[in-house]
Amino acid sequence: MTTMIKAQNLTKDYGDGRGIFDINFEVQKGETFGFVGTNGSGKTTTIRHIMGFLKPQKGFCQVLDKDCWKYSSEIKKWIEYVPGEIAFPDLRSGTEFLKSQAELLNLKDMSYANYLIEKLQLDVTANLKSMSKGMKQKTAIVAAFMANKDILILDEPTTGLDPLMRLSFLELLDEEKKKGKTILISSQMFDELETSCDRVALIFEGHIVDIANVKELQNLPYKMYKVEFLIPEQYKKFKESHYQVLRDQEKYNQVTVKVFDKDLHQFFNELKNFKLKFISEVNYNLEKYFMEVLNKYQNGGSNVQ
Amino acid sequence: MFSKALFKQTAKAHWVRWMAVTVSTCVMLAIVIVVLGNLGINDIRDSLKNVFIQADQQSELKEKSIDSYELYLTTTDTYNQMSMLQSVIENSVTDFKTQFATLEDKTEENAKFLALSVATEKVNSSFFANLMTEEQKASAISFISATLLYSLQEPEMSAMELVKETYGEMVYTAAYDEALSDGYNDEEALSQADGAKELAFIAIDSYVTKSSSGSFVYNVDNFKDEARVEVNNMMFNNVEESQLKSGVSEDEALQNAVAIKIISNTAITTYQALLIDENFKNSLNITETDADKIQEIVISSARDEACKSISDQIPDKVSEALTELGNMDMYSLIIGSIFYRIAGLLLPMVFVIMTANNLLAGQVDSGSMAYVLSTPTKRRTVTVTQMAYLIFALFSMYALLTVVSVISVWISGGNSFAINYGEILLLNLGAFLTMFAFAGFCFMCSAIFNRSKHSLSIGGGLTIFSLVCTILGLFGSAVVPSAMRINAMDFFNYLSIITLFDTASILSGGLNFIWQFGILFGIGIVTIIIGILRFDKKDLPL
Repeated sequence: MTTMIKAQNLTKDYGDGRGIFDINFEVQKGETFGFVGTNGSGKTTTIRHIMGFLKPQKGFCQVLDKDCWKYSSEIKKWIEYVPGEIAFPDLRSGTEFLKSQAELLNLKDMSYANYLIEKLQLDVTANLKSMSKGMKQKTAIVAAFMANKDILILDEPTTGLDPLMRLSFLELLDEEKKKGKTILISSQMFDELETSCDRVALIFEGHIVDIANVKELQNLPYKMYKVEFLIPEQYKKFKESHYQVLRDQEKYNQVTVKVFDKDLHQFFNELKNFKLKFISEVNYNLEKYFMEVLNKYQNGGSNVQ
Repeated sequence: MFSKALFKQTAKAHWVRWMAVTVSTCVMLAIVIVVLGNLGINDIRDSLKNVFIQADQQSELKEKSIDSYELYLTTTDTYNQMSMLQSVIENSVTDFKTQFATLEDKTEENAKFLALSVATEKVNSSFFANLMTEEQKASAISFISATLLYSLQEPEMSAMELVKETYGEMVYTAAYDEALSDGYNDEEALSQADGAKELAFIAIDSYVTKSSSGSFVYNVDNFKDEARVEVNNMMFNNVEESQLKSGVSEDEALQNAVAIKIISNTAITTYQALLIDENFKNSLNITETDADKIQEIVISSARDEACKSISDQIPDKVSEALTELGNMDMYSLIIGSIFYRIAGLLLPMVFVIMTANNLLAGQVDSGSMAYVLSTPTKRRTVTVTQMAYLIFALFSMYALLTVVSVISVWISGGNSFAINYGEILLLNLGAFLTMFAFAGFCFMCSAIFNRSKHSLSIGGGLTIFSLVCTILGLFGSAVVPSAMRINAMDFFNYLSIITLFDTASILSGGLNFIWQFGILFGIGIVTIIIGILRFDKKDLPL
């Protein structure tokens, strides 16, 4: 496996606790890597370092073993980039912009660009300045994707897109992924990353708190069930059984337990003896996982990684 | 180092602004040169100049009248003295002639010596000798000896005729020398000498006529009015003659001659009146006690007073200011100091400030720079290309302005226009280099700052500050006439880069502009290099 993107001890301190601190991660070839975090957590700063726009104070980042700062123009041979803030040069129409961008990329064949325009239902003849946020976003996506390079770096690419467009975009992303492209994507939305990413890093206040393997999260060897009892005595009795209680809500006689797949049969057999109000499976997802991690991180102050 | 695609993109983004600025500046320039050229803004200057020239000419004329008047009186006075010595002179001539005939060696030297000794002997032995002062004797002797020498040339002439001719010759020589020393050329000096001699003869003839009428007693006062009239007539005749010669119509010549006669008459009358005016004498506050010296002062003061022209009558400061106004070249002021250094710089300046900011800082601020830099384009390539565009835009703007200005000068009369082709080319080159320096500076600010507002306020702010200082400094610079000038305002010129574009020096043919242009070019180059180097190394929030 080739390491496409690598960051090691990457630090940029803007003062007042802002900035990024000791960022470490690697993205392998063909992998889709996600960044998730709140506003100002450091996603964009990290991406700017990879793009060679910012000079690290400490540590380094590399693309295909080339230092991002030193070889900032060379690494662009492999990188397609959709910036977080969409602002276009002073040109009149989308067509003009895409043409100019193609010239800068030394791109002669526009067939893929036309395919993208079709797919995203983009009206390129529109005036660049009067475009809606979503239109601009689509134009930016076409401008980045059309060169068909190996690495895709996307900074919150779905903001401003309507739900249907988001879907087509995610489809597009999937196509790119199938072509074997390496993708680095940042977002505030967990579900989006969960469906498209192989691994997702959680950034909080400039630190990578955890890097989660999405496949592993989806294929957990246990399930979680939320059970509410009609009779409080039975609720208390059940709590004392050997299942691991994840959440206990005494007020409602509710309990959430973790049940390993092998114990499933036994679990339901046991429940036959209780009078239940309801039972439901609790979906475990990235968001839940990260919330747990974050709680632990903030309370314990210890880095999980 | 250079990206054609980026250059194209930048040119496309800015061409509307470029067109607007270039076209309006060209139109402004054409209007300034052509329209003002045909209005003849130098007319006022010319008429002012004429007033002063005429005033000076009048003053000269008056002086000449008074000189002639004095000459007339001196002549009658001298001739009167000589006629009293008539018998002495007649004896001297006879003696001199016989002695000269016996002279073995008739050289000029010997003749002179003989004439002097005869004159000395006759004067001293005459009965007048006791009545004359030593001074009068000496002048009589030298005059008589000159007369004796002249008798060798004209042996047939009577003694008094010789005196007249000798005196005429003396007046002629003196007038010729004086005219030469006053700066007239040889021809003019000769004609003036002729005039003086003629006037002297008129005076002598008049004296002879009067003295032959029997009961004649010489009194200078009897000749004063006559002298004035004769001088007036002479001035009249001179002017009429010369005017007719130069092809002026008879009527006009007569008119001018009358005008001159009146000026001459006024001057002499004033002079005469002032000489005997006790109030005038008192107003001079003479501290001398010697009577002769007092008389000398009164005479010269009376002359000055009588010859005064307009420029002498108004206060010195006003007259200086008016003279300066007369000498001021309105074209150089309006085209050089106002258009090329202020009005014509304003729009290109706005173009440079806005464009330079847009080329880097504006794109970094908005984030659009990300698109260029996410392609394999080096930062150095971006800066060099953007700078190349800015210089190209400025260069083509000034190339067009140069064409427009040359055509405008051609329409306004080419090299006969107040500003010639070479000067207009230098003005355009200077304006381009000034803008080049500003462009470099604004570009440097654009490269250093990530925020438009910072780049604009430093780059644009200092640029506009320079222009404002030049406007204020104009009121303290030497191109503005002293009546309007406030010297303290010159201070502002030291705060502005535009001061290095010295249009006044260019238009007056100075060579200072060479090193000044060099500095402007240097400022541009250095700031561009600083900008490019800085942009390579800084963090970009894209």
